[in-house]
Amino acid sequence: MSTQTSHRLETQLLGRDVSVTLSGPWTAYWIRFLSFIMGWYFLHAGLDKLVNWPFDAGWFVGGAAQASILAPIMAPFAEGAGLAFVNVAVPVGQTLIGLGLIFGGFTRVAAFFGAFLMTFFYFVNGPGGAWAHGMVNGDLLALLLFVTVVVFGSGKVFGLDGYLRKTAVVRNHPRLQYLLG
Amino acid sequence: MYVGGGLLLFGAVVIGVVETLFGSPHAVTGEGQIVHETLVPLEVRSFIILAGLLVWLLYAVYKLTSADPPAATPEPAPETAD
Repeated sequence: MSTQTSHRLETQLLGRDVSVTLSGPWTAYWIRFLSFIMGWYFLHAGLDKLVNWPFDAGWFVGGAAQASILAPIMAPFAEGAGLAFVNVAVPVGQTLIGLGLIFGGFTRVAAFFGAFLMTFFYFVNGPGGAWAHGMVNGDLLALLLFVTVVVFGSGKVFGLDGYLRKTAVVRNHPRLQYLLG
Repeated sequence: MYVGGGLLLFGAVVIGVVETLFGSPHAVTGEGQIVHETLVPLEVRSFIILAGLLVWLLYAVYKLTSADPPAATPEPAPETAD
């Protein structure tokens, strides 16, 4: 059996042929590597908050966010039950996102919520100083890297999603593959 | 797909070039003090970039709900001895 290592991806953009030749091993390796690094990025952030519990996001949701364009939708979470929810959801969410990306389980769901959280970090941290060197910063790049994982998936590469795809549930509901890697 | 990316590029890059050449390349200081002599307010750039992200999100929801589902992963063929 021969193993083809380069693959021609026939496709068009804006009506023009933009077909590219990709190295199969490098493509698989790179999206897996990227997922692993992004997973540790969030797993570390989540575990750091859980290990040093209690976590209080009040300075972020109730303070820094008030100077951002997201202030109106974050105001209900600035105190009381809303803030209590954020205090738990952020560290637990970051931990689950990190685990999902590292182990390749529900990869696209994990990466989507990674991008979701990074949207808040980007727009709230920006006016507070993170845009000091322009609006393309680490937060935006991390957001886009999570989107990259959503687009390409990676759970099939040494990940749990490879097994989940073969289950009867997923085979009977192929649309679920959009949520896996 | 193109609209989302276009908005993001416009908000981050195109306006960024204009600000660099004619406005304020450092609209925010490291301490978070907003410099106000920008040609395009930061809020406007923020909304443009956010709109791009939301367009991508809407496109993803459309793909998830309306487009044809992907082909199911084939069941692995049983190994046979020959």
